[in-house]
Amino acid sequence: MTQFLTILLDGTSYGMVLFIISVGLTVTMGLMRVVNLAHGAFAMIGGYIATVLVLKLGVPFLLATVLAAIAAGILGGLAEITVYRPLYRKGELPQVLLTIGLCFVAIAALTFFVGPTPLPAIVPAWLDQMVDIGFRLYPAYRLFLIVVGGLLAFIVWLIIERSLFGARLRAAVDDPQMARSVGMDVSRMFTITFVGGCALAGFGGAVGAGVLPLEPFYALRYLVYFLIVVAVGGMGSFRGSLVAALAIGIIDTAGRYTVPQFGGFLLYLLVFALLLWRPNGLLPPKSVA
Amino acid sequence: MKRTLIASAVAALVSLSSAAYADVVKFGIIAPFSGPFAVWGTQFKDAVEAFQKLNGKTVNGHEVQIVWRDEGAGDASKSRQFAEELILREKVNVLGGFALTPDALAVAEVISESKTPTIILNAATSVVTRKSPYFIRVSMTVAQYISPLGAWATKNGVKSAYVMVSDYAPGHDAEGEFISGFEKTGGKIVGKDRIPLNVTDFAPYMERALQSKADGLFIFAPAGAPSVAMVREFERRGLKKAGMKLMGSGEMQEIFLPSFGDSIIGAISSTHYTESNQRPENIAFRRVLNEVNKDAVPDMASIAAWDAMGLVYSTVKSLGPKFTGDQAIDFMKAQTINSPRGPVKFDPKERDIIQNVYVREVKKVDGKLINVDISTTENVRDPWKDNNPNAK
Repeated sequence: MTQFLTILLDGTSYGMVLFIISVGLTVTMGLMRVVNLAHGAFAMIGGYIATVLVLKLGVPFLLATVLAAIAAGILGGLAEITVYRPLYRKGELPQVLLTIGLCFVAIAALTFFVGPTPLPAIVPAWLDQMVDIGFRLYPAYRLFLIVVGGLLAFIVWLIIERSLFGARLRAAVDDPQMARSVGMDVSRMFTITFVGGCALAGFGGAVGAGVLPLEPFYALRYLVYFLIVVAVGGMGSFRGSLVAALAIGIIDTAGRYTVPQFGGFLLYLLVFALLLWRPNGLLPPKSVA
Repeated sequence: MKRTLIASAVAALVSLSSAAYADVVKFGIIAPFSGPFAVWGTQFKDAVEAFQKLNGKTVNGHEVQIVWRDEGAGDASKSRQFAEELILREKVNVLGGFALTPDALAVAEVISESKTPTIILNAATSVVTRKSPYFIRVSMTVAQYISPLGAWATKNGVKSAYVMVSDYAPGHDAEGEFISGFEKTGGKIVGKDRIPLNVTDFAPYMERALQSKADGLFIFAPAGAPSVAMVREFERRGLKKAGMKLMGSGEMQEIFLPSFGDSIIGAISSTHYTESNQRPENIAFRRVLNEVNKDAVPDMASIAAWDAMGLVYSTVKSLGPKFTGDQAIDFMKAQTINSPRGPVKFDPKERDIIQNVYVREVKKVDGKLINVDISTTENVRDPWKDNNPNAK
């Protein structure tokens, strides 16, 4: 029982990091059908900014992660207006090529300016300790990830399911053509969503640095996981991405704990089987279902 | 007899005449400067520049020119392509580099055909030097620098151990070497995991190790993000608090210590180079290295590049700027080097390095995390070579 709960906590905290980073990717890919492989780069940049703020300027951890999110959001907005916009009508191959190119630019830039070695962890002392949770001592940092991830999921849910903007967003994801023809400014909506998604990614990169260590190759190393979340959850589906991220976190953790020699493959087998069963993901929006 | 006399007379004449002219000796180095292994290229380059700053760019008037090639993200086919280009077009006299084993294996055929002396600066799989008679290694093998650790552990209160390695060839070498040394001296292995290379979250593995209640945990992971994540999870999950001794090797190099924070204090590692050792050669090495790049911290890669430069310089000093591959390799493998890491020599048959291996502990000295030697094993050969005398 103790083991079961431990796996559940480990998996949930890991899944929450994946969720925070990937949710923006899910929504933007669903909304504009842009294959954005540079999403991990925004998470990485957010993490780097937070690390520099904490280590060089002594900014407190929480404030640094918020500032990192804002910076990643601004950067995402600039990139959307200048680089992504001309891509929307270009088809998938140019999108893949250009966004993977952006990844390499980010990797080279961070290697050049900050260096190729992994960055120090910025998890503060008050989080970097064990707390008693009844049945065992457990790392406070992981509990923090679960709480923050849950809070963010709730906020994003409020925005998407309970606000006018969210209603429009869902409409645009389900049927972009119809949304345009009833007078919605879909491209402005996309810019806003893109900024929000990048900000969340930057925040995830910063708070999740204790689980996914920051180094210049971050943008590509973890990209597979972010894309699995999108594919499994269903493009454009907020709820799908939450379910998928948590499932991936828990299944991956449980697999590695119980059968460590196959642990690395179990996840891919399951994803494979699941996509055969539901090629559009667990909870796809109506436009692709 | 007569023929060899004439040959050596001609050789002597050639070397005499060439000594009179200033020549260029080219040393081609293939290493990753971009991609996930970029740290190796950077370390090589800083050390080479430091060496030339201290010793000058010429030997007896002959310029030693370094030709760099970036093989990118550990791409072995590129390594071979660059080797051909460097040998045929650049006409390098000596070749070197190779961060990963496949990079070195890929050039074995090329250098054997062209008889190019080739200095391995990292690639640590034991078998590599047997793949071509023109290879010589100044780095290490995994089995070599792990070999004293098992016996050290049993002698220092670690009676049972959990073993956790990345699932790739060097990881298997490290696992085998540690377990054999540990069990031979009476230690008991209570569990072992081989972790796929793509794993990023080590929580479940550390949880297993914690439940095993072993006295010590031996880890081996590729330097960089994977090993950093592994050690952080060890600390965060309270394995240290539970009294478990962390033992590793390259993970605890000084260059990575700032990534961990103070909780790394007390971790044990076994390698062939202690970065803060007080040998005069090392102090000089660190000084010029920091003149070249003030943030540079030396590691296994930089020390290998430094000693490779020493080998090239002494070869040019003794043989002149023109030498055949056989002459160069025969000369190099007979050298002993007073390296910043300690005394270094080569096994003439295997052309592989023989050096001291140090067991170190992370300590905080003057506010800085460094490794401090606690035990030294002298003149360690590669144990794999002795256990597999005929393997190719």
